[in-house]
Amino acid sequence: MRWIAVIIGLMLASVGQGNETSLYQRLGGEKGVKSIAERLIDFSSQDPETQRSFDKVDLIKLKQSLATQLCELSDGPCRYQGDDMRRVHRGLGISEREFYAMVEHLRKILDDMAIDARSKNQLLAKLAPMKKDVVE
Amino acid sequence: MNMRWLTWLLLWLPMSSLLAAELRLQLTDTNGAPIPEVAVALVPASGVERPPAQTAIIDQVNKEFVPYLSVVQAGALVRFPNSDNIRHHVYSFSETNKFELKLYSGEPSHPVPFAREGIVVLGCNIHDRMIAYVLVVDSPYFTVLQNQTEARLQAPAGAYQLLIWHPGMNAPMQESVQLSDTPKVLSRQISGTP
Repeated sequence: MRWIAVIIGLMLASVGQGNETSLYQRLGGEKGVKSIAERLIDFSSQDPETQRSFDKVDLIKLKQSLATQLCELSDGPCRYQGDDMRRVHRGLGISEREFYAMVEHLRKILDDMAIDARSKNQLLAKLAPMKKDVVE
Repeated sequence: MNMRWLTWLLLWLPMSSLLAAELRLQLTDTNGAPIPEVAVALVPASGVERPPAQTAIIDQVNKEFVPYLSVVQAGALVRFPNSDNIRHHVYSFSETNKFELKLYSGEPSHPVPFAREGIVVLGCNIHDRMIAYVLVVDSPYFTVLQNQTEARLQAPAGAYQLLIWHPGMNAPMQESVQLSDTPKVLSRQISGTP
């Protein structure tokens, strides 16, 4: 019994330390981030509003690449080593309208996954600065 | 006659006589129908001097390689101009000529040397259905037939290996041919693309 008390005590202590869970964890960790990436690419490559720039693209590789980026961006244990966003999107002629349509897809996905509002906004805020590199 | 003309003449006279021999190859599939894309090359015996290799071009147009099938001389440079002007990532896993080349919109790329003879398959890491084939031969005498049934190749008289290959074949079909002053007429049938 005494051991159990010690263990419970330690657990409470670690929670009490106030080390907030990372955004990565709140997004569901590896599984969650992977699922966000997969759903976002599936949605965007099928929606007539956004599918244009995904034509003939290797979606499996793209999903992996996006998952790594989301993992890094949410302070997870990953490092994105692909091309920078500017070079990746240059020449595709992506419009603001297409960009925001994809942001909408992401919002829906995060809602469907029951990600809390604060985490959702944190992720969107981290992605927002990419707009200047994506939109032409 | 100025010097430039003289230079031309001196260059052309031996060239034209060197290319006196001709192969006329009738080539169809086993049903007698033309083959969509097939490469034909005449490779001189080793030790025979070849003209230097010309630079070849494989473009990227609407997320396809153009041309789909090329023949290049061993040692040639191949340029990838990227008319699509979006990102491509060309690669070859082929043993004889392994390389990776990232193409970005608005950034010129370096040509790639194709040093060794063999079959090279090209893909794109971004667009997984893009594919192209390159037959690398130690010869400047080659052509690609697209739905045509006759190849005409000019080369100096002499002994050659005739290579016929399309992407449905594991290896080129090879045979020895002798070219002399009169055109050599051959007729061959090969199984079409699968």
